Amino acid sequence: MRTQGSGTGISRREFGKLAGVAGLALGVSPAALRTAFADEMVDSAEIISGKASGMIVHNADLGVMETPLTLLRDHDHTPKDVLFNRLHYPHQGDAAWYATTAAPDMPDWTIRIDGLVQRPRTVSLSDLAGMDQVKRVSVMQCAGNGRSFYAAREKVGGGQWKNGGMGNVEWEGVPLRQFLEDQMLLPADSAHWLTAEGWDQPATPEGSDFAKSYEMDDPALDNAILALKMNGEPIPAVHGGPVRLIIPGFYGNMNVKFLTTLLLDAEQSASAFQRVGYRMPLGPVEPGQFEANDYTIYNSVPTYGHKIKSVIFSPLPDDSPKAGPVEITGVAFNDGQAAITSVDVSADGGGTWKAATISPAESPWAWYRWSANAMLASGSNVLMCRATDALGRTQPMDGLTRWNPRGYEWNGVDRVEITV
Amino acid sequence: MRSLACFLALTGLTLSVSFAAAQNRFDLPAGPGRDLVYGHCQTCHDLQSVVDSAGIRRGAWDAFLDNMKDYGLRISDDQRARILDYLATYMGPEAPPAPPVAEAVAAADGAQIYADTCIACHQEDGRGKPDEFPPFAGNSDLFLSPDFPATVVLNGIAGPIEVEGAAFDNEMPPFDFLSDDEIAAVIAYVRSEWGNDALRPSGFADVTADEVAALRAKPMASDEVHALRASLK
Repeated sequence: MRTQGSGTGISRREFGKLAGVAGLALGVSPAALRTAFADEMVDSAEIISGKASGMIVHNADLGVMETPLTLLRDHDHTPKDVLFNRLHYPHQGDAAWYATTAAPDMPDWTIRIDGLVQRPRTVSLSDLAGMDQVKRVSVMQCAGNGRSFYAAREKVGGGQWKNGGMGNVEWEGVPLRQFLEDQMLLPADSAHWLTAEGWDQPATPEGSDFAKSYEMDDPALDNAILALKMNGEPIPAVHGGPVRLIIPGFYGNMNVKFLTTLLLDAEQSASAFQRVGYRMPLGPVEPGQFEANDYTIYNSVPTYGHKIKSVIFSPLPDDSPKAGPVEITGVAFNDGQAAITSVDVSADGGGTWKAATISPAESPWAWYRWSANAMLASGSNVLMCRATDALGRTQPMDGLTRWNPRGYEWNGVDRVEITV
Repeated sequence: MRSLACFLALTGLTLSVSFAAAQNRFDLPAGPGRDLVYGHCQTCHDLQSVVDSAGIRRGAWDAFLDNMKDYGLRISDDQRARILDYLATYMGPEAPPAPPVAEAVAAADGAQIYADTCIACHQEDGRGKPDEFPPFAGNSDLFLSPDFPATVVLNGIAGPIEVEGAAFDNEMPPFDFLSDDEIAAVIAYVRSEWGNDALRPSGFADVTADEVAALRAKPMASDEVHALRASLK
């Protein structure tokens, strides 16, 4: 269903006038800009078969979409029809099979384990299904979630994600370390890195194949699984089935979809997605002084574990709350290395804070639900939340201090403005 | 790791869902280099990512293009420089200049339009890319009817086709940002290059700009173009 995107009343025919008069001022919201350029937008349900209607689409051809918080907040485990999605290459031609939330029917799928090992192996899907399985409930979050908020300092190119590029998901599969041990690969002492590769390929051979590398002794791998199920059923194709490497607590891109290959190697992958993309500078950087192509493996680190974060789920402006008592609710999570110990909530833009009540999480990597009572006054109310964990890690009051030219790992104190 | 595709083809395993890529239409401000953006970027994705990034600095657009290279963007250094100038000027933090006043335009140059617009998929040698983009060299579709190629350029085409024995299943977006003159010129060019003259039926006339204008007035869906092709075969 094509819907008219007419929110601002600017048709693309009138765009020339808009551009001439107002320019592409940074103050213009992405949605208004888009409406100025395109007068109709394809709905999410038309892009990926089985996805809910009304998802916020960032890139139709790559199936990139985020979940409106009004859909996200209703579920303990984010269902496949509303879970955000990010693919790296177009789902066209022979890649059309993964443009669906249905599970792939590929019983002959295999995974090759190779590299600096004396005994390379190939393992079939049925071999994997016959091994002991464990469950991991973990937040899956795009590294770019919240990118649009960096625009308050300087806009960052790419999909303008708000807070909906995340979900709380139950995965089930074979524990990675035990699996590697059982294969009796006889790896070389120098095999310090594990690289995961998926089936998907760049649009042209000149592009870089998507791959992710992890240090073999990273404790996060102790909890990693070769996942075969998501929310109790075979993993939907669009979410990486039939096999996805899940490293609980790690940003989305680190959880390689359509897993075909595991390499044990002395070096990390040469893929641009490992060495340039999906990285964070080692220290603060200034807009204009450090660009998105300035990343090296020496001045930056991959977007591994989730930075501690909390997000307000209600009330949202769409809820049109009335003045008076209100329950503020939301979620909080981190990389799973320590429990979330407090979430502080403010209803007056940071003037006063009170501790929220936190419900126990299902696992170290799952999100915690929290709630706090507050009063909404007539006029403008600025709601804020800030999580802290047992290691003392907390969210920056000003997330813009972590500005980076690829717009990753936003974890500034969340801020929702409600006008009553 | 695409051996799986071959495997699927060999076993005849059919996959239940094949969602055609859903492209949105975005019109960018007129300016030099805009058509290069239309021609090259939409090979893989619609222009939402460009529009959503509007307002970033030249240096950020420069890095953006490097990033796209990692995704598989193929452009020459000259094209890259022209695309960067366009993005920095018309999609940068400053208000873009007023659209250029229409000047006496030189006659459309089919070879130049091909190099700027078609080459990303159909390649410099007109041979396309196996399994991805059909060739023009030796492609008898060019002479299915005087109008057919212009209909494809204006409306795009989607669906499985076979060209000179090779199968393709992809989607070409509309290139209707090209003017009537430009479409007529590039089709005349493609019909005469790479030995295609030899395929030309005797007395076969090239499409004129006026005829392109008439086709433009009757837009078609990309799957209707696919059906039209079948009916002409």
